[in-house]
Amino acid sequence: MPQQIALNVNGKSHVVEVEADSMLLYALRDNLELRGPKFGCGLSECGACTVLMNGNAVHSCIIPVSAVGNAKIVTLEGLGTAEGPHPLQKAFIAEQAAQCGYCINGMIMQAASLLKRNPRPSRNDIKQALNGNLCRCGTHMRIVRAVERAAAERVSE
Amino acid sequence: MSAKSNDMRSTAEGALSRRDFLRTSGGLVIAFTLFGPAGPAGAAESSPADAAQPSLTPPPAGKLYAWLAVHPDNSATLFTGKVETGTGVQTALAQIAAEELDLPFDRLDVVMGTTSKTVDQGPSYGSMTVRYAGPQIRQAGAAGRQALLDLAAKHFGVPAQQLVVKEGTISVSGSPDRSITYGKLVDGKRLNIDIGASGQQFGLKVAPNARPKDPSTYTLVGKPIARKDIPAKIMGRFTYVQDVRVEGMLHGRVVRPYGVEATLVSVDETGLKKIPGFVQVVRRENFLGVVAKTEWGAIQAAAKLGSTLNPSGPEAGQAKWSNWSGLPKMDQIWETVRNTPAVHSSSAVSKGSTATALASASRTLKATYKTPFQMHGSIGPECAIADVKGDRATLWSGTQMPHETRRDMAKLLNIPLDGIEVRWFEASGAYGRNGLEHVVADAAIMSQIVGKPVRVQWMRWDSHGWEPKEPPIVQDLEGGLDSAGHVIAWQHHMWVPTTGDTHLVAAALIGHPDVTGQTGASGRAPVRYAYNFDNAEVTSHGEGRVGLLTAWLRSPAQFETTFAMESFIDELAAAAKQDPLAFRLAHLEDAKAIAVLKAAAQAYGWESRPAGAKADRSGKPAHGRGIAWVNRDDSRVATIADVMVDPSSGRISVSRVVVAHDCGMVINPDGLKNQIEGNVIQSLSRTLHEEVAFDTARVTSLDWKGYPILRFEEIPDRIDIVLVNNSPEHPSTGGGEPSTCPTAAVISNAVFDAIGVRLRQTPFRPESVKAAMS
Repeated sequence: MPQQIALNVNGKSHVVEVEADSMLLYALRDNLELRGPKFGCGLSECGACTVLMNGNAVHSCIIPVSAVGNAKIVTLEGLGTAEGPHPLQKAFIAEQAAQCGYCINGMIMQAASLLKRNPRPSRNDIKQALNGNLCRCGTHMRIVRAVERAAAERVSE
Repeated sequence: MSAKSNDMRSTAEGALSRRDFLRTSGGLVIAFTLFGPAGPAGAAESSPADAAQPSLTPPPAGKLYAWLAVHPDNSATLFTGKVETGTGVQTALAQIAAEELDLPFDRLDVVMGTTSKTVDQGPSYGSMTVRYAGPQIRQAGAAGRQALLDLAAKHFGVPAQQLVVKEGTISVSGSPDRSITYGKLVDGKRLNIDIGASGQQFGLKVAPNARPKDPSTYTLVGKPIARKDIPAKIMGRFTYVQDVRVEGMLHGRVVRPYGVEATLVSVDETGLKKIPGFVQVVRRENFLGVVAKTEWGAIQAAAKLGSTLNPSGPEAGQAKWSNWSGLPKMDQIWETVRNTPAVHSSSAVSKGSTATALASASRTLKATYKTPFQMHGSIGPECAIADVKGDRATLWSGTQMPHETRRDMAKLLNIPLDGIEVRWFEASGAYGRNGLEHVVADAAIMSQIVGKPVRVQWMRWDSHGWEPKEPPIVQDLEGGLDSAGHVIAWQHHMWVPTTGDTHLVAAALIGHPDVTGQTGASGRAPVRYAYNFDNAEVTSHGEGRVGLLTAWLRSPAQFETTFAMESFIDELAAAAKQDPLAFRLAHLEDAKAIAVLKAAAQAYGWESRPAGAKADRSGKPAHGRGIAWVNRDDSRVATIADVMVDPSSGRISVSRVVVAHDCGMVINPDGLKNQIEGNVIQSLSRTLHEEVAFDTARVTSLDWKGYPILRFEEIPDRIDIVLVNNSPEHPSTGGGEPSTCPTAAVISNAVFDAIGVRLRQTPFRPESVKAAMS
């Protein structure tokens, strides 16, 4: 049966009414009406649903809401503000690193997690970090360049 | 409720944020509204099927308002029946229109696809949008500029020749104080002005008397302007069709048959009512779905009925299906294709006598090339919302052909065309006809049955399993060389199942398979033969459906035929011990083909030597280079790549790719380069990894583990791009897909150059490479 569950998302507390074993992705998209995290596979295989959970990139399509607890969730919408886009967001725009853009949420969130633990990643570090994120349009070259650009601007949250 | 919108259209408030400019060091011009007046996240679409509405018929192409609206704040909207599929055409078309209108680029918004607001310019496919819709919009823009000048002439009481236009403001020449903006001039009125139009879709001619600008004066066209859609996509503020929410909508999920043509035996609904939010099972003949108030509820209910990643059989879920197993065996698919009778046989060339020439040749070669079923593999599964009530239907869809979808839904739902509107929102990239046209039918049937708006998103396995596939193709080639190493005979036979089967899955399931759609066996050989061999015969055996439902995937069939043609000419070059570039050039007369081959070779630093002359058969990792080219609907592309082949693992890695690309005049060079890079990566993925697996009942590669695609660790270090004939005297052809075509041949040729082994069947997975070596 649906329960009232508290979630900390993008710096605010929310109470959502969902089933405890339902996945975080649906609470974010359907209850909180966020558009950053995407449904891609529901199988933790593509990365389109990636969010930050206490700063680490996770696949929200396989995280039950009941497992979130007090963890701080950040989605693409919460990464930067209207006044101050995240350096990765600026870099992705500057490099025009999107085609259809459906995977880009996952790319940016995964890269944000990488830059937090490794502010000066090599190209190989970037490729390894993003290796679990699928892009079908073939925007890979630009995505790597965008992460390099953001890192060069000394990203740290 | 206000509609959620990705529009960057200026409003009184938006005009302030319009001053947000970002610039980069890469020469890219970036000027956009970072945060346009998009509605707050979650703002619901209204549910217009309820309301009394004006006509939903598309506007007449001969009226200016069908193409253009000018707003009081001096911004404007371009309306086009073309849609964005991730390729950047929204921006390219806006550049063309803003150029003709003399309007700042960031003041022009684009409304795409929605059928009540746009002219049907034909589907957005086949790399044909800039080529065909570009001139239509250029003429409409020019007509718009002329109409505004005429209004201003009346306003100022001077002849139009005395007026000058700059950035949306018209002034009387020599009297700068006498000026007025487009916005004030139009004063919020509809541009009800006749501009003339004839023909339809790709052949539509708009405003034949309008005089477009001299290309030498262009300030927007040809510039690498940043795409309009990208900022919202990067900030999480874009509304994909997957993000649209409609008031009062239910969530639906389909439950597809276990076997492709299995019939529904029974549905056991035990336990479904205990699922929170569950509303009902939706069944019509073999069409089965569920609807629920929550997405999670719909997923749980569908799973109970059998919609899971790996159901163990036709009776694994509570829905029981007949035990159907009528697909060909996977390991015999090419024999099946070869033995399927042709619907259309067509000849690309028939010159001289190949039989006689082969008999007299000093050396002959024969080879067979095979390519498998492949899929579009969109990252976001197909999604649509339908609200069907009585003789009205509103459909929210990401289809590449909204006007066609509208007509199809009229037939499927048996309601009048005038009552139907398709509201188009961009979807996850499709690269052809994936399941977007099918999911809208699923949603429409469910909504018609339950009487409420229904949002259907396919699960990953629905998409992998049921999207229409690119067909398997088998090709036989035979060539003859004379004693001087010149090709005197060329024979190429291809067996090609349809790439254009537009029957809808849902229509078949409800028992009306032919209510809409065609089998679509092409009457044209999917190959452009351009060599000048004295004796040549190129024949396509075009077939109907073979096994799985198939439809076009990026460069349909020509990706495969280019693989065979451009690999086999490499085989002949190697047999003649000649350099593969020089060998091609010696047999070509097409100046544009020669130009792209030479441009690619120059950018690469090509040194002449026979292919395979340095092949390393020692078992150590070896380097090779490959070359190939294509003429895809008049765009020429030549590609060269460097590969490393590790014989011990069978792994091929691609280090550098050079592409020389001639699609004539380029509207947006950065947008085109983004497309070329995408084509290269995606076609590398198709070359190295992709093959749909199936048993005799169904597709069995139902997720990304079963159908792997290229990952970051495998991308090339560099993709270098040279644009050829990028100038106004060469009219624009297409850029969305031609650079897909050469890749498989390039890699096959490079592998031969590296280790002396020919790969004639995609994908070149490590185990296939090792098998070919032994």
